[in-house]
Amino acid sequence: MVNTGLSAVSDHVLMVAVVTYSLAMLAYAGDFAYGRRARAAAPASQPVSELAGVGARGTAEDGTAADAPAGSGDTGDGDVVSPGGLEKGRQRPGPLLRTAIGLTFLGAAIHVSGVITRAIAVDRVPWGDMYEFVVTLTCVAMLFFIAVMLKFRAWHLGLFVTGAVMVALGLAQTIIYTPAGPLVPALKSYWLAIHVAAMTLSTGIFFVAAVLGVIYLFAERYERQVAAGRQPGDHGIFRRLPGAEALDRLAYRTVVFGFPIWTFGIIAGAIWADQAWGRYWGWDPVETWAFITWVVYACFLHARATAGWRGKRAAYIQILGFSCLLFNVLVVQTFVTGLHSYAGLS
Amino acid sequence: MTDVHTDPAGQAGPPVPARDRAGTEAEPVLEAGIGERDAADAPVARPPAGHFGVVAWARWAWRQLTSMRVALVLLFLLALGSVPGSLLPQEGIDPAAVQEYYTAHKTLAPILDRLGLFNVFAAPWFAAIYLLLFISLAGCVLPRAYRLARSARAVPPRAPRNLARLPNSVRFQTGLSADQAAALAATFLSRRHFRLNRGEGWLSAEKGYRREVGNLLFHVALIALLVSIGLGGLFGYKADRLLVEGNSFADTVTDVDAFHPGHFVSANDLAPFTVTLNRFDSSYIESGQDRGQPSVFDAHITYTAQPGGTPRQYSLQVNHPLNVDSTKLYLIGHGYAPVFKVTDGQGKVVYDQATPFLPADQATYLSEGVVKAPDAQPDQLGFAGVFLPTAVDLNGQLESAFPAALEPAVSMIAYRGNLGLNSGVAQSVYQLDTTGMTRVATSDEVLTPGQSMKLPNGEGTLTFAGYKQWVSLQVTYDPGQVPALISGIVALAGLLLSFLVRRRRIFVRTYADQAGHTTVDVAGLARSDVGGGFEGEFAELSRDLREHITASRKETE
Ligand code: HEM
Repeated sequence: MVNTGLSAVSDHVLMVAVVTYSLAMLAYAGDFAYGRRARAAAPASQPVSELAGVGARGTAEDGTAADAPAGSGDTGDGDVVSPGGLEKGRQRPGPLLRTAIGLTFLGAAIHVSGVITRAIAVDRVPWGDMYEFVVTLTCVAMLFFIAVMLKFRAWHLGLFVTGAVMVALGLAQTIIYTPAGPLVPALKSYWLAIHVAAMTLSTGIFFVAAVLGVIYLFAERYERQVAAGRQPGDHGIFRRLPGAEALDRLAYRTVVFGFPIWTFGIIAGAIWADQAWGRYWGWDPVETWAFITWVVYACFLHARATAGWRGKRAAYIQILGFSCLLFNVLVVQTFVTGLHSYAGLS
Repeated sequence: MTDVHTDPAGQAGPPVPARDRAGTEAEPVLEAGIGERDAADAPVARPPAGHFGVVAWARWAWRQLTSMRVALVLLFLLALGSVPGSLLPQEGIDPAAVQEYYTAHKTLAPILDRLGLFNVFAAPWFAAIYLLLFISLAGCVLPRAYRLARSARAVPPRAPRNLARLPNSVRFQTGLSADQAAALAATFLSRRHFRLNRGEGWLSAEKGYRREVGNLLFHVALIALLVSIGLGGLFGYKADRLLVEGNSFADTVTDVDAFHPGHFVSANDLAPFTVTLNRFDSSYIESGQDRGQPSVFDAHITYTAQPGGTPRQYSLQVNHPLNVDSTKLYLIGHGYAPVFKVTDGQGKVVYDQATPFLPADQATYLSEGVVKAPDAQPDQLGFAGVFLPTAVDLNGQLESAFPAALEPAVSMIAYRGNLGLNSGVAQSVYQLDTTGMTRVATSDEVLTPGQSMKLPNGEGTLTFAGYKQWVSLQVTYDPGQVPALISGIVALAGLLLSFLVRRRRIFVRTYADQAGHTTVDVAGLARSDVGGGFEGEFAELSRDLREHITASRKETE
């Protein structure tokens, strides 16, 4: 049965999470404005190569390193800079950035406890309606981002990720808030746990990829302007972010991580649809949009492997993929009638 | 070691002696990988120029179709084409909504219809997109599978002469002899699952062939998925049946309400089971914010798998279908069937049965239906009205307050005249054609179970005797289902394999000098590195390799 007291606690806890994220965002922004010029020494005209040099430094430290001239070479797909080269083990973050990172961790911890209290309150998986779905997927996005940054240490990206998560979570609490309730019979199935878990997880991951894709587009434009010899104003922000190529790679790897989970989610959904509705695929609007999303991400993966489509075009496709996903959640599941009576909004 | 990065044009690097450059280019080191650059992806944008015949054109078209770029465009079209199918009402899903759309958009609807937009997923243009895509896919995958099969035992090509020219390389020295160092490198690499090719003073190693296997598996599984879906459509069938509590039906063409067979299905192919609905339990949340939300639907049925077989009990629920020899029975919907008894003007009972009413409002289960008594004398009688599971009077407006039958009641309008059943036009059992009828009475109050309404002039009586519930059932047989599931799982496995496995080549060359030192050159090539990250990996691997060689030197000392 639903524990209304506990669900109220969850609502409050999530509110605190939003506040914590907004503080974290302020701290990130403050670091951009007032923090130490992390890469002041780097000539602004070579942000890509500056970053690119980091990845292979391990090799360069071999004392007897050959001094033979390194020529050109095609690695098969022309990609060399690794996201592993993102400021790995570089300078210690300044106090503002450290505060921001601390607040990010704190916000994520509060967010997790909000999700868990909601799950206990409704006595089931915390993704039984759209509100829970958004709350949980933003939590996944945050944890995924933190996990990636523990490895790649481009914490400055936190400005955008905490910002996006804060907005999504805030909207969830105001516009699509659904009080804790029991499930309708159509949702009572262990496939709910499996299918929606996969969808939530991959959506959280695609969320991070989309944020990276957007930053990539800005960084790419900035670098083009710099390369063209124009001084594009005081965009100190880009000097602290990883270069465009590294962002591109990171976004790609993120999609590669999310795509099989999304694929699995669609398969699990088909199995569930077969159990519940007597057909595994019926072009119901929500199914159709899950398919469209999948195809667009497949386009992205193909674009990355097609000459002339890498870079900006691929980034647009990736962002289009996430837009399809969002459209499905926010518009199709809410306004288009179909079998997926999931939103709990009526 | 210097770390010079991508310069695909080959312009930025330090000048390389022309002879050397030509030398490396002759070697097949940097040729495209099987998966990474397709031959079909080579620039073939222009149609054959000058003199060309049909064959040349066909070859050009085929290369276009199987190029990655065209695959990309077709994939986009597939996504784009699906959009109207989700936003416009579809014949295959909700024909009634299509009718409504016709009434609402009189000029637009016929145009959309001609474009097939009300039945997108069966439209010829949609089929054209996915068939072209799958032809492209086959044309892309089969040659690659062939090449992969040929390379199953292939060894990596010989190491290029100047390893330092490769984008990732290190050089170090050791006191071991050149042969010893090469042997150590070979053991090290084969222990790491590299496939080796050795020669005089050089060694090349490659791993990650399974990446291409995974990629091919994924794409082939997609073809298998499409074939499975097609087979299911041709050899499967679907049937609907509405069943009132206490009634039975057999899975035969004549006993179901609607039958949708695949192209190769005949009446004999139906699974010969029978089903009786003993009781349908439904319950709803009675209080709180979720009042009225369903909590349990449970159809208690008895079924026999074969004529004369043992009857078995089953509790049929949403998410809990019945499987009889891979034909499945699903609980799709439910509703109320008020029981009516009609006596005609001559005092004869001309109608006495439970009559399924269709829910008009899913939240309250206010349901609508009709009663037709064609045998009534002197005139045929017809009734149309509503069933209210929990009847309430809201300022003179009849409403149902709750979906469960807490205060069941009906409100009916009576008609007398010709029901029009013999007009030759098929009639719905849920609608009354009142063109040949006159309205004779309306129940001024709702009827509760046991109550009757009398028609004026002794023309008859309608008694609301009580109610039963009905369920709508769906029978599905889809032989493509298991193959489709297997294809899906294989596709996922292939995808994971191709994402997780990385294809790498490592080259080693050893040179001895007069002083008894040996120089070891190690170079690496990522043959699939769309996501980047090879530098770090190579740095680690070459460091380990170096440690392996130098450590064993200490042991030998
Ligand atoms: C039904 C349509 C298709 C879908 C859904 C699809 C999907 C995918 C996906 C998800 C990947 C990434 C997985 C991986 O890297 O192994 C991929 C890769 C690939 N696909 Fe397709 N594909 C389709 C059709 C095609 C066609 C028609 C071609 C041939 C022109 C093709 C050629 C390739 C190649 C060469 C790769 C490897 C790219 C790389 O190395 O990263 N695909 N495809």
